[in-house]
Amino acid sequence: MPVPLLTDSAMRTSENQLTSMTADPSITVTVRDLRKHYTVHEKEPGIRGSLRSFVRRNSRQVHAVDGVSFDLEAGEMVGFLGPNGAGKTTTLKMLAGLLHPSGGQVRIGPYTPKERRTGFLKLITLVMGQKQQLIWDLPAYDSFLVNQAIYEVPDDQFKATMHEFIETLELEQIVKKQVRKLSLGERMKCELAAAPLHRPRVLFLDEPTIGLDVNMQVRIREFVADYNRRYNATVMLTSHYMADVTALCNRIIVIDKGRIIFDGDLSRLVEQTAPAKIIRLQLSTPVTVEHLASYGHVHSFDGLNVELKVPRAETTRIAARLLAELPVADVTIEDPPIEEIIGQMFSQMRAEQRDQAAAGEPASVA
Amino acid sequence: MRPRRYFRLIMLLAGASVSAQLEYRVNFLVNVASSILASGGALFGLSILFSDGQRVGGWTYREAIVVVGLFTLVEGFIATFLQPNLSRVSEAVRTGTMDFTLLKPIDSQFLVSAREVNIFRLSDILIGLGLMLWAVITLHSATPWGVALGIVLILAGLVIVYAIWFILTTTAFWFVNIENLTELFHGLFGAGQFPVTAFPGWTRIVFSFVVPVAFITTVPAEAFIGRADPARAVGAAAIALFLFFVARWFWKFAVRSYTSASS
Ligand SMILES: Nc1ncnc2c1ncn2[C@@H]1O[C@H](COP(=O)(O)OP(=O)(O)O)[C@@H](O)[C@H]1O
Ligand SMILES: [Mg+2]
Repeated sequence: MPVPLLTDSAMRTSENQLTSMTADPSITVTVRDLRKHYTVHEKEPGIRGSLRSFVRRNSRQVHAVDGVSFDLEAGEMVGFLGPNGAGKTTTLKMLAGLLHPSGGQVRIGPYTPKERRTGFLKLITLVMGQKQQLIWDLPAYDSFLVNQAIYEVPDDQFKATMHEFIETLELEQIVKKQVRKLSLGERMKCELAAAPLHRPRVLFLDEPTIGLDVNMQVRIREFVADYNRRYNATVMLTSHYMADVTALCNRIIVIDKGRIIFDGDLSRLVEQTAPAKIIRLQLSTPVTVEHLASYGHVHSFDGLNVELKVPRAETTRIAARLLAELPVADVTIEDPPIEEIIGQMFSQMRAEQRDQAAAGEPASVA
Repeated sequence: MRPRRYFRLIMLLAGASVSAQLEYRVNFLVNVASSILASGGALFGLSILFSDGQRVGGWTYREAIVVVGLFTLVEGFIATFLQPNLSRVSEAVRTGTMDFTLLKPIDSQFLVSAREVNIFRLSDILIGLGLMLWAVITLHSATPWGVALGIVLILAGLVIVYAIWFILTTTAFWFVNIENLTELFHGLFGAGQFPVTAFPGWTRIVFSFVVPVAFITTVPAEAFIGRADPARAVGAAAIALFLFFVARWFWKFAVRSYTSASS
C-alpha cells in the first residue's frame, strides 16, 4: 500500500542544528526493494534423517526479506514491528552492512553498507539485545576504553560522552564492577552505553529491552530518546514491547513474511486498523448487561465498571447518550492497546489471504 | 594503516586481557610448573637419544638443545599469543558475537588476532630463550652474522606458525568446532622439537613443505650454531610471506561468505 510519509522530522532537524554541532541533515537512509534469501538445508529429525540428508541434501530458499523499501530522514525514530521470523533482524543486519543483500539497494548517507567502509562503520551502531560485546571478566569501563581506541574517539569527547551516558543510564556504580557480576538489566545498560560511544548518527536497535523489567525498559527508552535529541540521530528500533515503540516512535513500519504491510504514523495505523474505540464507564448504580449491550459491545463488566467497544465514528454520539441516559460517575475514551491493533491487523491479512486462496489464486506459502 | 594507533590498541587490549586473567590467580603457578616439566621432559628425551655421545643426523647433543630451546619458545608463542585469540574466534562464530568484530572500523583480522595475551605462558618463552642462549654460548661456534640471521629466521618461523594457526582457525566459519584441527597441528608440530635432519628422508620433505616445521625450529637453529644454509634461509622467508598472504586472503574469503549468510 502506498503511504505518504509525513512526519515532523524536518522540523525537528532544524531545531536540533542549534544544539548539536555535528548535525548533518544529509544522513538519510534509503532502502529500495531490499531482499535476502537464505538457502536452508532441511533435515528430518533423528539419525535416519541425518543419514538421508547426508546422502542427498534437501535445500530450500527462504525469502527472509522480500522486497522492502522505505526512507528514513535524519533524526527520525522509527519502530520496526512484526511477528517472530518476519525478517526484522535480517533487515537491520543488511542496513548495518553485516549481511550482503540478495537484491535491492541500501544507501546510508553517502555509503553503501555492505562495503563496510571505515567512515560508514563510524557513522552507525547496531545493538543486539541477545548478544554482548563487553569483556566478561572486566568492568564495563575497560570495554569502553577499548571501543574508544578502536573508533579513535578523542579523549575529551570520550570523557564528555561517558559523563553524559553514565548520568542518563545511572551507571556510576555499575561501570566499575566486573561485567560477569552484573544483573541482566545492568549489563544491557552497559551494552547500550558501549554501542554509541563514538556518537554514531544512525542507531539500529534490535530488541534492546528484551527480558528487562519495566523500570529498566523505561530507563533505556529515556536514554534512546535523549541520544536522538542530542545528536539528531536516526533510530530504527525493533521490540517485543509495544510500550517501547509507542513511547519513542511516531512512525512505525510493520513487516510480515519479509514484506512491509504498513508504514506510517502510529495514529494512522490505529485509525485504519482499529475501527473501534473503548469507552470506559464508572457507574454510580448498577445497570444490567442487557441494557448496556444496546449501546455497544460489552467488553468487560463487573457491576459498576464497564468497558464498551463502539464503532469509531459513533464514539461521540454514543458517549453523549450514555452520559444522558445512565448514572455515570466517570467516563474515559481510549484506543484499544496497540498489541491488539497489530494482532488484529495480522489476522485480517491472514483472512484476506485465505479468501484469495479460496478464490483460486495461488496462496503465498509461509 | 597508522602503526601508532595499532600499537596503542595492542597495548590496551593486552592490558585488558592481562587484568582479566589476574582474576584467576591460581592458573599462574600451574602454567609455570607445566612448562618447566615439558622442557625438562624434552631435554631428558634428547639425553637418552644422544647418550653414547653420538651425533644424530649430524647434530650433537648441545646443538640439539638449541632446537629444543627454539621449540619451547615457539610453543610459548603459540600458547601466549595465538591459542587464546584463535579459540575465541570459533566461540564468536558460534555465539554470533563475530558480528561486533565485523562492525568495528578496524581490520578484523588484526582485531581477532590481538585481543588476548595469556601471560601465564610467557614463562615458556623465557625458558626457551634461556635454553637457546645457554646452548649457543657454550657451543662457541656462533658468529654475529649467524645470530642476526637466526633472529630474522625466528621471526619468519613465528609468521609461519601464525599463518598456519590462523588458516586453521578461519575454518571455524564453516566447521564450528575446530578443536580437533588445532590438536592435529599440535601433534605434527611436536616433531619440531627434534632437528629435522634426524628424521628419515621422506618425513623431512613432509616437515619442510607440507607442515613447515623444519622452517620453524631447525632452520633458525642452524643459523645460531653457525651452519646457516643460505638457500634454506631464503626458503623460510619466502614460505613465511606466502603463508601470511594465504592466511589473509582466506580470512577475507571467510568473512565474505559469513556476511552473505549469517544469522
Ligand atoms: N542464517 C539463516 N539461515 C537460514 N534462515 C535464516 C537465517 N537467519 C534467519 N533466517 C530465517 O529468516 C526469517 C527471518 O528471520 P529474522 O530476520 O531473524 O526475523 P525476526 O528478527 O523478524 O524475528 C526466519 O524465517 C528465519 O528462520
Ligand atoms: Mg529478530
